Amino acid sequence: MAHNFKSDVTVDWCPGCGDFGILTSITQALSELNLDPHNVVSVSGIGCSGKTPHYLNIGGIHTLHGRSIPFATGVKLSNPNLKVIVPGGDGDMLGIGAGHFVAEGRRNSGLTIIIFDNEVYGLTKGQAAPTMQLGEKTKGLSRANIFGKVNPIALALASGYSFVARGFSFDMKQLKEIIKTAILHEGSSVIDVLQPCPTYNNINTMDYYRKKVYKLEDDKSWDPVVTGESMDKAIEQFQKAYNKGLEWEERIPTGIFYDNRAIPSFTKRLNEFVPQYFKNPPSDQIVSGVDGFTPVDVVKTFADKTI
Amino acid sequence: MDLNLTLGGPQGGGIDTSSNMITRAFAAAGYNVFGVREYHSNIKGRHSYNHLRVKEERPRSLKYPVDILIALDPDTIFEHIEDVGEGTKIVYDKQFETSDLASARMIMRDTAKRIKETLQDEKLPLNIKGALQLMQKKGGSPIAVPFNEVVSSAISDGVPTRYFNTLGSAITLAIAGLPSEFGEESIRQVFSAKESVVAENIKVVKAAYEYCNNNKLAGKPIPKLPKKKRFLITGNDGSAIGKLMGGLRFQTYYPITPASDESSILEEHGAISFIENENRSLKDSGIVIVQTEDEISAVTMAQGAAITGARSSTATSGPGFSLMAEGISFAGMDEVPILITLYQRGGPSTGLPTRNGQSDLLFALNTGHGEFPRIVISSGDVEECIYDAMKGLNYAQRYQMPVLHLIDKNLANTSDLVPEIDSKRVKVSQVLATKDSESFRRYNLDTENGISNPGYLGKNIFWMTGDEHDELGHVTEDPDVRDRMMRKRFQKLKTVEDEVPMNDRAVLYGPSDAEITFVTWGSQKGVILDVMEDLKAKKISANLLYIKMFEPFPSEFVSKILKKAKLVIDVESNMLAQAARVIRTNTGINIEKSILKYNGRHITEDELLESAMNIYNNRKEEKLEEVLENGA
Repeated sequence: MAHNFKSDVTVDWCPGCGDFGILTSITQALSELNLDPHNVVSVSGIGCSGKTPHYLNIGGIHTLHGRSIPFATGVKLSNPNLKVIVPGGDGDMLGIGAGHFVAEGRRNSGLTIIIFDNEVYGLTKGQAAPTMQLGEKTKGLSRANIFGKVNPIALALASGYSFVARGFSFDMKQLKEIIKTAILHEGSSVIDVLQPCPTYNNINTMDYYRKKVYKLEDDKSWDPVVTGESMDKAIEQFQKAYNKGLEWEERIPTGIFYDNRAIPSFTKRLNEFVPQYFKNPPSDQIVSGVDGFTPVDVVKTFADKTI
Repeated sequence: MDLNLTLGGPQGGGIDTSSNMITRAFAAAGYNVFGVREYHSNIKGRHSYNHLRVKEERPRSLKYPVDILIALDPDTIFEHIEDVGEGTKIVYDKQFETSDLASARMIMRDTAKRIKETLQDEKLPLNIKGALQLMQKKGGSPIAVPFNEVVSSAISDGVPTRYFNTLGSAITLAIAGLPSEFGEESIRQVFSAKESVVAENIKVVKAAYEYCNNNKLAGKPIPKLPKKKRFLITGNDGSAIGKLMGGLRFQTYYPITPASDESSILEEHGAISFIENENRSLKDSGIVIVQTEDEISAVTMAQGAAITGARSSTATSGPGFSLMAEGISFAGMDEVPILITLYQRGGPSTGLPTRNGQSDLLFALNTGHGEFPRIVISSGDVEECIYDAMKGLNYAQRYQMPVLHLIDKNLANTSDLVPEIDSKRVKVSQVLATKDSESFRRYNLDTENGISNPGYLGKNIFWMTGDEHDELGHVTEDPDVRDRMMRKRFQKLKTVEDEVPMNDRAVLYGPSDAEITFVTWGSQKGVILDVMEDLKAKKISANLLYIKMFEPFPSEFVSKILKKAKLVIDVESNMLAQAARVIRTNTGINIEKSILKYNGRHITEDELLESAMNIYNNRKEEKLEEVLENGA
């Protein structure tokens, strides 16, 4: 029987929450990829999005606010054979965890980062999140937002992520496909998901987005896949992705902005230095010798320190 | 023999290489050398020095005044004006004699002011000559060597200054009476890879010996002792070696003094062997070492790896450790096996970033919000660093909790000759994942010792959350499960107490009955053991209650010793006598006499003996506190 990727834990998100669409897209993607449930884990931070691992019937860590990326990186680098999904809020990823978000772009470990982007901090009663527009006044705010917004697509590209996409939680068909492509992508991916918060964000609603979103893939000439064969083409593709990422006011593009398959993953880079890294990763090694003592030959290993 | 020496010069001027040469030369002749490195938070130019001690048996501490002071720059003479005494030989470049204190811009302003006042009080000129006169008053004898001439006589081309550190070391060896062959041997060891460099430096060594012989500086030849194979390692090395032997597979770090050396050493020696599961054969592999974006990432990334089954660790110092607080709380709550090596330096804040301190004990015992079990251990010498790191990894795995291993900067930068590393002293036991099933409960409550089923992501399906959780790892706020989970987690500390032998928690050195009972932890161990010998020579018996594990605290053992002690003296490198506070909290016993040092420099045998005698002679007083001040 096929594994049910949805756990039996009661989901306690608000009725009408965009998170449901993301959860369903993830479970469908995992089912369609027919992954062994032992080989895929999810690692989240704090907030409504942080509860996602409990709703998935795969191993999961619900970590600290903003720290899902380093926890997830540890999982991935210790056992590179695992697929690691990282659901996180906009505050989690782009506010408190922004430093890790940028650092992971440089690493490209192979995480599938899904940003639940609703522009507010829902669980703490609707404060402005880093993706909220300057001057916007959602109903949870006592005064208009006096911060500018960070652009998740542009930041992901600038940080070096090799796969950057945007989904809309009410278009699960597209989102599921993006998640599948991202999970199979070797490096790290970022999927910014427009996910209305029906309780605290009365501006960026489902209808608001429905009117604005359009799909990049509808333009048949749109080609986000970078193979690395031509440097000029690669630069052009990056620039196009970046420019598309800036579109927001009138129309909002969804789909895959950038899919660079030429940048080596961090695990591949580690494999250059760590013997048999993929075959015998840190998670799978027996550290105890046959006699119960260390198998490390200390005199040989530290010959440079003997006199 | 008991030879004490200080070798100083500008940071980046090859002081460490020189010190390495001296150490290796004496080691080649069969002697034991012990040393500490002192330096500024600076890349090039400021005063740095190595304080060394050479003996037939293994030295455990350092001492002032030194027998030889080797100055590779004028600053060294000014900086160490207090460290000379009867018979000290001060070796320096004759050219320094024209230097003024005012032009020694790399001396910290406050230090320069203090030196200036000292010279003015003695009505001496504010220059090298004045400083040397003061040293002569203290019994020192200046030895001016024309560095440039001696080097130039040996080296035809190249910049002579590049060889000044070799020259300084060689002169020291000659004065100490060590035959030239050992100096040459040390050159071959230090510059092993570069043949031409070896040849040139050996010429300089020969010239130095010739100069010393011609100028009647060479000391009476000392005997060659039987040579044994030894490890020349520091505390940083020790911890790295212990982690490798203890099965470390994943180490994270963010650069910080004095912790990052450990991670560099692991990177250099990270190719290791392990046993393949299926056929139990030895395979080659390596450790994954990741330089993270910050210490928050370091402590959480290491946990991610630990959750998949890899033995994981991180190493940091005070400021980075502060950032780790929330992550450590998670490890306590979620029972993640992780070893955190905390290299203590002088705080608070950036404090004295390259100097010694033991001011993070109370913080280590209380890091992180909420109440959770942890193990806190501390090492006191280079060998302990090795075995404690191994044990720390074992504890983390066995008791599924964060283990904090405290090493002070003084110990991190202590170099010692260790005769043997015993790979059979500490077992490395594998904790395998529980066989997976639909009903796997990572946090099962039906456990007497508090230790739940081990499980690893990739092998078992389970959940974890920083929230209070049920047996499966899902969020719960149920009051009953909360109570039971809290008790289950803390039950593990009782299990630690049941299983860990007392020798690994606290040790009493010396006679069980003594006139003085010292109490300490960390790197003061060696210097106290030496002072105990000095006291014995004065017919005063002393023992040492040495604490290695602060959580769970060996209350009964400590209490028993302190209750029957006659005069208890607490010795620590901090201002608040933190270990004494921990003792009071756990046993109700107040220690009223203490010797403390918080100027960031290592405690030396002479100053500790003097203060111990002061307290001993005034032991009728209710409360006494001595503050030590040695060190440039």
